[in-house]
Amino acid sequence: MAVLGLLADGLVFSSIIVLGSIGLSLVYGIADFANFAHGDTMTVGAYAALVTFGGLSGVGGPSLLGLPAAFFLALAAGFVVAALVAVVTEKLVYEPLDIGAIGLLITSIGVAFIYRGLVRIVFTAESTRYDVQSIRPIEALVPYGVRVTYHDVAIVITSVVLVGSLHALLQYTDLGRKMRAMADNPELARISGIRTDRIRLVTWTVGGGLAGVGGTFLGLFNRLSPRMGFNLLLLVFAAVILGGIGSVYGAMLGGLLIGVVHESMPLLSGLGGLLPLVPDTLGIPVGIEYAEAVAFVIMVAVLLVRPTGIAGEGT
Amino acid sequence: MVDVAGVVDDMTTAERGVTVVVVVAVVVLLLGLFSGRLAPTYFLFLVGLAGMYALLSLGLNSQWGFGGLINFSVAAFFGIGAYGAALVTASNSPVSDGFSPVYGLAVALGLATVLALFIGLPTLRLRADYLAIASLGLAEVVRRIILNERHLTNGSLGVRGVPGFFDDWPVLSTFPEAMPGLRIDVPLGATVELGAPFYRMLLNVLLVAVFAAGSYLLLSRVHRSPWGRVLRTIRSDEDLARALGKNTFRFKLQAFVLGSLVMALAGVFYAHLQQFVGPGTLDPLTTFYVWVAVILGGSGSNRGALFGGIVIVAVREGPRFALGWLVGILESVSGALGSDGFVGRLQEFVVSLARTLEAMDAAAVRLVLVGLLIVALMRLRPEGILPPQRELIWSSAVDEAPEQPDTGVREARGDGDD
Repeated sequence: MAVLGLLADGLVFSSIIVLGSIGLSLVYGIADFANFAHGDTMTVGAYAALVTFGGLSGVGGPSLLGLPAAFFLALAAGFVVAALVAVVTEKLVYEPLDIGAIGLLITSIGVAFIYRGLVRIVFTAESTRYDVQSIRPIEALVPYGVRVTYHDVAIVITSVVLVGSLHALLQYTDLGRKMRAMADNPELARISGIRTDRIRLVTWTVGGGLAGVGGTFLGLFNRLSPRMGFNLLLLVFAAVILGGIGSVYGAMLGGLLIGVVHESMPLLSGLGGLLPLVPDTLGIPVGIEYAEAVAFVIMVAVLLVRPTGIAGEGT
Repeated sequence: MVDVAGVVDDMTTAERGVTVVVVVAVVVLLLGLFSGRLAPTYFLFLVGLAGMYALLSLGLNSQWGFGGLINFSVAAFFGIGAYGAALVTASNSPVSDGFSPVYGLAVALGLATVLALFIGLPTLRLRADYLAIASLGLAEVVRRIILNERHLTNGSLGVRGVPGFFDDWPVLSTFPEAMPGLRIDVPLGATVELGAPFYRMLLNVLLVAVFAAGSYLLLSRVHRSPWGRVLRTIRSDEDLARALGKNTFRFKLQAFVLGSLVMALAGVFYAHLQQFVGPGTLDPLTTFYVWVAVILGGSGSNRGALFGGIVIVAVREGPRFALGWLVGILESVSGALGSDGFVGRLQEFVVSLARTLEAMDAAAVRLVLVGLLIVALMRLRPEGILPPQRELIWSSAVDEAPEQPDTGVREARGDGDD
């Protein structure tokens, strides 16, 4: 079945988008602006992992799901560096500004240029990849039309673990309650004694870190290039808007939907054969080269019809 | 005789600063020309590019600066203008066979109007930051279509063989060949040759100057009209404009189409300047460059937009020269130094520095520079360098104002003809 295979691909790609969209949505909710530098934060994380992985190439140890232990250390480095970069940027650039949401949006474009330009100066514009042996799809699943590798499984499992931890953090810890309170109403949160500036920093840390992990996985899934994050940014925005800006759970759902739509484009032309009750000849003749365009059109449609997204405002 | 002291006295600090910068820039460019380091044809090419960015900034300014519309699809309108002109006029166009550039201009403007309605109708009701994201997304959709519909646009190969804009005009078509080739011995030693390419570029500059001057005059006039006043009211308080009975959506849509047409003009010029149009024309980077130009110049200020357009060309083309120049200086310094002891080590360092700089990626340096420029601007002067002051009011309104406080309001006495 082609459908199962496409859904599996969609799930893998979704995991990466979800990691990006959670951070974007968190920052949108708490700092209250559309952060156009978020895609390039993913790039920074991916390249930090590249450097770390290169430095750890001598380290042995067990390998898990086709990935050496060093890769998971590199993944952690991607998280830490991207989080650090996001926090430093907040402290140096965004915090001293007092110019409203649009001014911050434009500033974040400048920040994105600085990230991307510096990555390009250090690593050149050429694309590259992690020095990980590429592996064949899992044999047991191939008969079902599903062609995923253990790397893809690692991407999905890690994302699920991270998303689950974030859920636990938000719902069951004091810090999470404060974050939700602040996303809901910053003034009220401050009056009730929450140190909102500290919560802002935590938000940037979590958002930037998840973006770093997402970027690293994007590099594993495709290749690394200085533009990789910016190219993904609009899809991540589409996911955030679909889910509802500021809502973490909406971002997860939106990311899942956008990722699956993006990967299941081949189904559109043969739609009639898949759905019951419609003639088999029905189909939307849109090629896979328009996968992202379709996602953007969905995004604009959501903005028009239901600007609050699936989950509405708030965490 | 112009009263220079009076004019200078009437300027604000920012205006004086800008004047000094412009004068210095002109002197540097003239020095470059006269010393033979800057080829005259290339100099004119830069002037043309500056005019093109000025046009784009004027267009965006009439959307964002006057109407408050966050349009992140500048590149799409620029691209559609360029493709419209190229597809109608080019020799290897897949859809037509070398029509006159005047038809190309008309088709480009028509396409831009359709695209502006296509993007504007759904998105202009959206909140500001949603409009930004939605328009960027739709611009990307346009780029994908142009990239993938090969039977219409040649896809990634692009459209070649676009003629010059004046190639079928009565006198101007033969102008470059008819003009005598000149060899001029300039004062600072170099010999400058002016041949047909120079005159062809001169015609291009003429074209962009006509486009830019026309747009500037039209937009300045329009923005002082009642229509422009309503638009500015919408920008500062949309609810107020609505309470006054204005159909704000219609005004916004009109401003959006108007600005998009000016951007498409820039695209038409670009197609005839490069004689080639590829999908790279629609790179979203163009959009952000134009945004920098408008914010730098001062939102809502047409002369600011002109200034911003010129600065962007300096930023775009500058790093390439600056790096080459720096490497040249370092090499001559290291040549002058000996090769013993401390001096030798210094020379090694200078040479390796030169190598590093040479190997540096100019496009990447440019990205960092533009990024720093945006951040610095938003931090230090978010209102831009030349914010609107007198240009939004009729000069008669100022002249008839009573001569009041002797101190303080210098702007009130201005003659307001800018």
